[in-house]
Amino acid sequence: MSTDTHTASETEEHHGEDVNYLNHETSVWSWLSTKDHKRIGILYCVSLAAVFLIAGVLAILMRLELSGPEATIMENDTYNQVFTMHGIMMVFLFLVPSIPAILGNFVLPMQIGAKDVAFPKLNLASWYVYMAGAILTIAAVYFGGVDTGWTFYTPYSKATGGGVLWMTSAIFVAGFASIFTGMNFIVTIHKMRAPGMTWNRLPLFVWGLYATSIVQVLATPVIGITMLLLILEQTLQIGIFDPALGGDPVLFQHFFWFYSHPAVYIMILPAFGIMSELITTFSRSRIFGYRAIALSSVAIAMLGFLVWGHHMFVSGQSVVSSIVFSLITYLIGIPSGIKIFNWVATLYKGSIWLQTPMLYALSFLFLFSIGGFTGVMVGVLSVDVHLHDTYYIVGHFHYVMMGGSVIALLGGMHYWWPKITGRLYNETLGKIAAGLVFIGFNLTFFPQLVLGSRGMPRRYATYLERFTDLHQLSTVGSWILGAGLFLVLGYALWSLAYGEKAPQNPWGAATLEWTNVAAIPDPHNFKRTPLVTRGPYDFHLADEVFGGGDGEVDGHGVRVPEAVPSAPTEESTA
Amino acid sequence: MSDDDHHVLPKNTLLAVFGGLIVLTGLTVAVAVEPVASLLGPLTVPVAIAIAATKATLVVVFFMALKYDNPVNALTFTIGIIMVVVFITFTMFDTVYRGDLGNVAPQTVQEMDRQQKEAQQEMDQLDSEDLRVAPADYPDQQGAGGESTESGNADSP
Amino acid sequence: MATDTETAPAPTTTDIEHDHDHPAHLQHHFVSSEQQFDSAKLGMWLFLITEVLLFSGMFVAYAVFRQWHPTAFAEASATLNRTMGTINTIVLLTSSLTVALSIHYIQLDKVKQCFYSLLATIGLAGGFMVIKYFEYTSKFEHGAFPGGLFEPHGAHYEHLAQIPYAPQFFSIYFVMTGIHGLHVLIGMGFLGWAAFHVWRGAFSSEYYTHIELGGLYWHLVDIIWIFLFPLLYLI
Repeated sequence: MSTDTHTASETEEHHGEDVNYLNHETSVWSWLSTKDHKRIGILYCVSLAAVFLIAGVLAILMRLELSGPEATIMENDTYNQVFTMHGIMMVFLFLVPSIPAILGNFVLPMQIGAKDVAFPKLNLASWYVYMAGAILTIAAVYFGGVDTGWTFYTPYSKATGGGVLWMTSAIFVAGFASIFTGMNFIVTIHKMRAPGMTWNRLPLFVWGLYATSIVQVLATPVIGITMLLLILEQTLQIGIFDPALGGDPVLFQHFFWFYSHPAVYIMILPAFGIMSELITTFSRSRIFGYRAIALSSVAIAMLGFLVWGHHMFVSGQSVVSSIVFSLITYLIGIPSGIKIFNWVATLYKGSIWLQTPMLYALSFLFLFSIGGFTGVMVGVLSVDVHLHDTYYIVGHFHYVMMGGSVIALLGGMHYWWPKITGRLYNETLGKIAAGLVFIGFNLTFFPQLVLGSRGMPRRYATYLERFTDLHQLSTVGSWILGAGLFLVLGYALWSLAYGEKAPQNPWGAATLEWTNVAAIPDPHNFKRTPLVTRGPYDFHLADEVFGGGDGEVDGHGVRVPEAVPSAPTEESTA
Repeated sequence: MSDDDHHVLPKNTLLAVFGGLIVLTGLTVAVAVEPVASLLGPLTVPVAIAIAATKATLVVVFFMALKYDNPVNALTFTIGIIMVVVFITFTMFDTVYRGDLGNVAPQTVQEMDRQQKEAQQEMDQLDSEDLRVAPADYPDQQGAGGESTESGNADSP
Repeated sequence: MATDTETAPAPTTTDIEHDHDHPAHLQHHFVSSEQQFDSAKLGMWLFLITEVLLFSGMFVAYAVFRQWHPTAFAEASATLNRTMGTINTIVLLTSSLTVALSIHYIQLDKVKQCFYSLLATIGLAGGFMVIKYFEYTSKFEHGAFPGGLFEPHGAHYEHLAQIPYAPQFFSIYFVMTGIHGLHVLIGMGFLGWAAFHVWRGAFSSEYYTHIELGGLYWHLVDIIWIFLFPLLYLI
């Protein structure tokens, strides 16, 4: 990916250092009214970090409660509210928006050579709608809290009072934020690509976001109507879901999972996209099977709509549909497997550069594979009947959600951190944190897989004596995991204030946001709209201009960048 | 895509489509009133939905000008419709066959009960020490907690 | 799609400097009006499928309960007023025609006809809501409320009290037509806004994106009704 017209050296010298998207306006109002996709990404980043912090602390509290078989720090009712809030915040308010809203917003227009997303106002509206949802969530806690679990199964959610009404409204509202982002990305990818940016030259992160957006647009309205019907069920007694009024509670589960299963792919597909970027950049290798990776994302997005019933094997749904759903569930393994194979093949014979983002990428390969395999197991009808609602499920989806999505988000945040903030983070601390997160994660969740297979049910504050050891192991793991994540927060904040200034392209990456955008992006991203003549992982030009990311590093573990990248002349690439 | 002139639908086309829509509305009411309705019997619903689908297609293709539009818009709409069909079909896989586990003939149930009893008797005749497989089955050799009682669980339904 | 046709134009064509003729309606991040129009339209179609899927939930509920309780649905459906339903269908189809005509006129720069077409659309939509209002009140008078509040009385309605699952029909009827009616009101507001700007001369054959989008939205509202009418009133 390169341009012929761009003359980074001139612009850098003249005003590139002075004017960038962070400092061209600085008032609080300029942030709250910004239509710049980069700033909206940062607004989202701050909001989501707060949500992740709160929901993460709730998780630590849960693990503390489970450090002994009897009640230790909280009552049953409190525990029910805590795991419900942890689930709701992590799923609806953190994981679903996380990668698209933070990194997607920031990176996507730059990666395809656009000045902004197609609908900047809608993009800002999306953040405000999200914040409205977050405020309704707080209201739900204020008005008595929610203890239904994040799934709101009827009839309990209809019968119990408290904040359920507020919480369902919150999810209804927050859904629109997701729809807006998805619509925006699809239109942006279709209509806003720079000249020469063909579909086959799209970076794979863009493909991942494209598949994600399809799911967001198609699935999210259904959670909207589900929540609306649940609200009407509570207020007007419409009797669609409540068996006491002649409704069908299993129908609610169909409605809920028609969204919430594809939502799993909203969380993981952009993570796949980040993986492709990290693996290619840090192994300096052409991507193996570009089309296979790109199209398997779309295939997963579509297949993801056909399998929701595998959450309902023990709900009392018909055996016919259980069998159909179970069979289709196996199919999901194929495109997911294609991806893992392609990434491993990309690593093969690459010159691997073990920087922090790459450590997260390798963690992902390991953790997501475990998450995927356990997923196939619980997709088996007969096995799931036994494992349903045990810690095996808890372990499985944490391996996919946290081991997949959050680890990829962390990798992506480290990777794009220099572009977002213009500063470098401390590489040594980064590696230590990545190690802590990996060890802590496995220590927390692997014991849960074992616990589940031995029959420990989920959603209980107390348990039998014989589960004590594994639960305590898991609790200790959660401390290590928490320590790792707090370390990340610590050096991220430190880097904001004191971090070394980042060069334009510290990783020698080949996509447009690194090659054609200044160290801290211009308010309009590009000085000149790039003209794309290469594929996204053609490192030849990036090697020449920015030096190969071949692991040649200086004493601090960071490669000395060239002061000013010398773009090729027009003749050399024409 | 790049031509600046958007396709202008002639007024006559619009009026003709409108005429078609009115006729189809009349038709769908006609097949719902009594003599015809009982004649159609179980076909009433499919016929009504078919007529509605035809009307909707007319609106989408001509009024919304999808026929003359960028193909990606048509693709978008089609995928949306497919998802609705998926939603309805897959949900009805469940609701139509709900309770099919209970639809087993009584003879089959009796036969299964008989086989289960036989298996139970066979198990009872075996020495419990022959069934030990997991470490937890050897409570005397290590303190594996309460799992020692699970040695007999293999035959529980 | 718009940009992938040329792979290697002369470098100068990629300048983003605002040196081309530059209509006032063109936002800075778009290259051309064409791109802006196409983007808006694709965005609208995506929005429309979210609407379709929103309604799909209620259609699923309808299908499931109808398949389970066909008699209750037939009996309850028989109490709806077919004449009013048919009139409303024709009213809404006509409004679809007028909104299509408004786009036809603005494309030919016939601003005045476009304005009147939009007014006609809004008027017909208002008529639809008025008829709907009479239908609703006649149901409420007989206690045909949704779900748990269902307490039918009066001739033609009393027998419903004996039929289990008849309340489900009215729940679905009110939720579906209620949300549809809400969409009609939103459409009226949007088209009214567009009509106001047409009257002020903001739109022409060069730039009529909002009318086009309003039209698409309106047709979708029509399509939903095309399905609601036979499902609720006729079968």
